[in-house]
Amino acid sequence: MGSSVRNGASFRDPSGFLFVRDGTLFRQVNQSYRPTFDLLEHSGLYAELVDDGLLIPHTLAAVPAAEPEAASLVLRPDPLSFISYPYEWSFSQLQDAALATLEIQQRALGRGLSLKDASAYNIQFLRGRPVLIDTLSFEVYREGDPWIAYRQFCQHFLAPLALMSRREIRLGQLLRLYIDGVPLDLAVRLLPWKARLNVGLLTHLYLHAASMRRYAGAEVRTAQGARRVTRTGFLGLIDNLRRTVAGLRWDPGRTAWAEYQTMHNYTPVALEAKRRLVVEYFEQARPSSLWDLGANTGAFSRLASERGIDTLSFDVDPSAVEANYRTVRASGEANLLPLLVDLTNPSPAQGWHHAERLSLRQRGPVDAVMALALVHHLAIGNNVPLPQVASFLADLGRWVIIEFVPKSDGQVKRLLAARDDIFSDYNVEGFERAFNGAFELRRREPIAESERTLYLWEKR
Amino acid sequence: MSWLPLLVGLAAPPAYLDPGSGSFLIQLVIAGALGAALAIRMSWSRIKGIFRRKESPPSDSEKHGE
Repeated sequence: MGSSVRNGASFRDPSGFLFVRDGTLFRQVNQSYRPTFDLLEHSGLYAELVDDGLLIPHTLAAVPAAEPEAASLVLRPDPLSFISYPYEWSFSQLQDAALATLEIQQRALGRGLSLKDASAYNIQFLRGRPVLIDTLSFEVYREGDPWIAYRQFCQHFLAPLALMSRREIRLGQLLRLYIDGVPLDLAVRLLPWKARLNVGLLTHLYLHAASMRRYAGAEVRTAQGARRVTRTGFLGLIDNLRRTVAGLRWDPGRTAWAEYQTMHNYTPVALEAKRRLVVEYFEQARPSSLWDLGANTGAFSRLASERGIDTLSFDVDPSAVEANYRTVRASGEANLLPLLVDLTNPSPAQGWHHAERLSLRQRGPVDAVMALALVHHLAIGNNVPLPQVASFLADLGRWVIIEFVPKSDGQVKRLLAARDDIFSDYNVEGFERAFNGAFELRRREPIAESERTLYLWEKR
Repeated sequence: MSWLPLLVGLAAPPAYLDPGSGSFLIQLVIAGALGAALAIRMSWSRIKGIFRRKESPPSDSEKHGE
């Protein structure tokens, strides 16, 4: 048996940690946490949460612990095919993750436990729904104690949701900058004045930020003795957070990309031809996992997910990702996860030691990558030379389904409308030359009633 | 409840998260009011529930609290 490698994001909580041994993810539970872990089982909370899809299931593993001197148990959590991060979620994904966290907290309180952290990174989307992946997030609830994770919840969930809803959707990207959530003093400076009129935002963001400023570093252990948070008060706090989060709204509106779906350059015949070709390519490559890059609202991603292919649907436009997620949620789709990613600046490796949050590339590769109506945005919109587009895609997957959009196409003409055409290699020959380096051509078909060509490449 | 004895004498391990003094103290201030608000809302829905039951038998979805 090989050696174990500790997970780079799993170091803060002394209750235990994640490690990988022979390609399998395990969770060590330390002796210090064992009584609480047992209570999670015996209280019935574990079964309740797992049954309702709110907590990742695990089994006891008979492998040696990674740090035996501290260990009490080793668990094997159900594996996840992909870890996504809050800065890759749409508004409703972050909101649903927040509501799931509060739901878990409410149920935990009903069984004598409480969440000791409320990190957005502890939530993942499994079969389309948010689920808590940190089994060691619970502590014994002691009546009188305030919620230890209150600040974390407000920073990871409420502040970014309020900013996205009340100021500007793109402020969700602050989560990428601030790894422990948006600082509340920053959030209240960015929110419009009117946000104070919402009692929940006034309480949990404005007054909370003021209290943090006023009492920074103040001794609380003694002050706590006299006044305490009753059980009813605690439940009231959680309930009010839930109402505040649920009351926030964001509607995608008609931004450029969400509209693209209906106004792009396809005739019905061309669209049907493209759909048929994509399916044929799936049948040839038989991928079990696929990343659809530039997926828009996921129409072509669904051709894969409906065939049981584990599919991620990336787009740069928050409206498209939001619309995609709402479809996933409404129809209970299990194999499709929409995510917000700018391919010209994909999620980096970050956090402590550059190892807490993985880059997009580190979370690959997959069996197949699909890039429909994308190449012109990378090559012309972002000036990426075609050989570099090819090597980027070669890093991500074995098979590449890619559509070439020539300069004569209306969409490319729009990109070139106001700038000099410096892209002398941007043509079918240049495209094929670029991909021939790293790939072997498997299929090449013109898309009927269009000037575009659909390729299937396999990595050499 | 059979698991209750487990709670007795269970020393809580020290918290790893810094709750922040301000975040701790504001909860002492707001929790009373939020708890009262929740209690009022719950009793109000209970009162409404009594009248609703008198008017008509609850549907299946009401029985499940949806």
